[in-house]
Amino acid sequence: MKRIITAVAVGALTLAAAGCSASGASTSNAGADFPKNGKSVELLVSFSPGGPVDTAARLIQPVLEKELGTNVEVVNKPGAGGQIGYTSLANAKPDGYTIGAVGSPSIVVIPMDEARGAAFKREDLQPLARQVVDPMVIAVQADSKYKNLKDLLEDSKAKPGSINATTTGQMGGEHFAIAQINEATGAELSPVHFSEGASQASTAFLGKHVDVLVGNISEVIDLQKQGKAKVLGVMDKERAEVLPDVPTFSEEGYDVVAATARGYAAPAGLPEDVAKKLEAALQAAIEDESVVSKMDNLGLTTSYQDSAEYGKFWTKQEADYKKVLPLVQAK
Amino acid sequence: MDVLNELMMGFAEAMTWQNLLFAFVGCLLGTVIGVLPGIGPVAGIALLIPLTLNLDPAGSIIMLCAIFYGTTYGGTITSVLLNTPGEAASAITAIDGYQMTKVGRAGVALTIAAVGSFIGGTIATVGLVLAAKPLGSLGLLIGPPEFFALVVVGISLLVALAGRSMVRALISGALGLLISMIGIDPVMGAPRFTFGMDRLLDGVSFVAVIVGIFGLSEILSYRPGKNQTVTQTPGLRALLPTRTDWKRSTPAFARGTGIGFAMGLIPGMTGSVSSLLSYGAEKKFSKYRNELGRGAIEGVAGPETANNAHANGALIPLFTLGIPASPTIAVLMGAFLQQGLTPGPTLFAEHSTLAWTIIASLFIGNVLLLVLNVPLVGLWTSILKVPYPILAGLILMFMVVGAYTINFSVFDVFVMIIFGLVGLGLRRLDIPLAPMVLTLVLGPLMERSLRESLDISHGSFSIFFDRPITMVLLLIALVIVCSPLLKLRKPAALVAEDPES
Repeated sequence: MKRIITAVAVGALTLAAAGCSASGASTSNAGADFPKNGKSVELLVSFSPGGPVDTAARLIQPVLEKELGTNVEVVNKPGAGGQIGYTSLANAKPDGYTIGAVGSPSIVVIPMDEARGAAFKREDLQPLARQVVDPMVIAVQADSKYKNLKDLLEDSKAKPGSINATTTGQMGGEHFAIAQINEATGAELSPVHFSEGASQASTAFLGKHVDVLVGNISEVIDLQKQGKAKVLGVMDKERAEVLPDVPTFSEEGYDVVAATARGYAAPAGLPEDVAKKLEAALQAAIEDESVVSKMDNLGLTTSYQDSAEYGKFWTKQEADYKKVLPLVQAK
Repeated sequence: MDVLNELMMGFAEAMTWQNLLFAFVGCLLGTVIGVLPGIGPVAGIALLIPLTLNLDPAGSIIMLCAIFYGTTYGGTITSVLLNTPGEAASAITAIDGYQMTKVGRAGVALTIAAVGSFIGGTIATVGLVLAAKPLGSLGLLIGPPEFFALVVVGISLLVALAGRSMVRALISGALGLLISMIGIDPVMGAPRFTFGMDRLLDGVSFVAVIVGIFGLSEILSYRPGKNQTVTQTPGLRALLPTRTDWKRSTPAFARGTGIGFAMGLIPGMTGSVSSLLSYGAEKKFSKYRNELGRGAIEGVAGPETANNAHANGALIPLFTLGIPASPTIAVLMGAFLQQGLTPGPTLFAEHSTLAWTIIASLFIGNVLLLVLNVPLVGLWTSILKVPYPILAGLILMFMVVGAYTINFSVFDVFVMIIFGLVGLGLRRLDIPLAPMVLTLVLGPLMERSLRESLDISHGSFSIFFDRPITMVLLLIALVIVCSPLLKLRKPAALVAEDPES
């Protein structure tokens, strides 16, 4: 019996130690010798285990370990739509031993919205690499009377506000997408916020409680395959590889581009050597064959960008979202 | 008899020694994860997914499923023995389970819980085999308005949980609602009761709160001499339930299975709602309802059956529709996807053998869980032989580590400590804790579904009155709320000795 308790205690302590060990970073002159022998790198995920950001991070982790030659620990700090994790990432020491998986729009929108009182600015984070772009799509019931995008949007113009569309919460990516659609096309889709996330949204859609489903390709693709949803349009410049028959919004004459992008970032101010090493390791991990094929299985098309391009991508997103921000803010 | 044939084929696959081993290891790991407070099923499965990535698909999914329902049993152990719920779905079991421990009946409670888990899990799996298709689409009928009405029924059970004093129950319930409102408003994004603290944006962790309220406050209220009979070590004989125990548990098993299975079908319901509703149902309908709260076996049998029936029932929407009905299932679905399998109707078409192997392994897993846990009951209860001061120290360590591991943050430890003090205050003031747990769990669900409904109806409340299912549910809630007025319940003599104090 004593042994059980000892075992439990040891187990518990090991767990506690595992949680602590990564935060023990204390050196200041991290540079050429990065990463120091035996010192592990913490990969902070600002979302719950099991989500797309977490899954991607856990997929690259083993390759990243090989590339960097040290342990990489994935640590989840979920909450407040990413704000809690982002805040602690921005406040971490810029020595390369703490990096984070980030998603946008959340990373650009959170600091933009004053009501959230975020304790960090976008500039406090430095982009390292983009892994995935997951465009938004719009879908209707498989037996819907809407045959194409034009049908739906014209009908929405005729009956403003009466057609409901799902989001995963106020100011989430889907909400921005709906605002962009409404602004660019003159339609008036009315958002229904499912703050619990994409699975609640698609459940309500499947139960026909909401007419229109707005979501990332990776979330909608299976419904389309099962014949439960009809994707009308992709909010991207080019057609999606996984949905070759679905037209883009621009093909239909609407200028709407919206996507969730996921990548990696560090607290701003990394020593140049360290940043270079991290970027190279991340590129290798993201483009690793087995990682790419596992991502493909999840409906996620790998779309690598290096730090400079990814930074520009953020700036572009920031500008896009600033335009529609008043439309999605709580009145 | 296609189904039966395919199931038999599944059994043949699942009975290979590797797969049996995976199921066994999964059950064991799940039980351990359940025992550790803080690491609930969601985090547990997510953390263990990497371990299973290199196994073949059947083996890895079997193991993860076993972990999944192993946790629902493991959580019970600490609830009953230490009054510290290992995970949310077992929180309500602590009330009567720990009272049973105090009078030396811990073994009985744990055995009944194991059997209840087995019954609930097995019947729900039979449901999965027989009626998965029609039941799966039934869950889809529950849209936000129906969900809201269902949660209202749940909240109305507060009436049943109120003991002697309705006012005290309402205070407790209101406090629970208040706590559940902390954090970012789920719809508009406005921070509520956060006092400018980033950390509170996400609200307070449910597990940290209940560990504090139940567990820590229990230890804090310990005074030597006053309640030195805190725990009695059970003899071997006391480990086994008596015939009366079995007889009394049977209706609770039945109610628990029904409630858990039905709730499991509904996307968005969590196991803790099932166990709470089941406890409420026992409070309302059990022949021995006046004993609940003082260590009645029904208070363990019902909720524990319900949460396992829920766990297995929740697999139905996953297998038939590809919908993850709860956060845990969502993580499980992630594991499916990583193995290149897409849950949903196509799973049966494209990977028929595999799908049936997994279902067969659910039966096997439930048996393993029973076989594993009943003999271990003696071992677990022997923890109570440790002298109280040492035990209290260990429990404290356990609670702190548990609170820390929720998000790997010290903040949750403070949350737990603060709520320990709150719990102590409530105990002193004679305010029952159960209604608070009820509203704490249901409050956010109610708010969310209400606002989703109003989004759908563009702000009109008529949405709750022109849907038949919603109407019926709301009427049921009304009847429950009014039942004390109608004096349908206990005669006055019983009220006087009601145990909820």
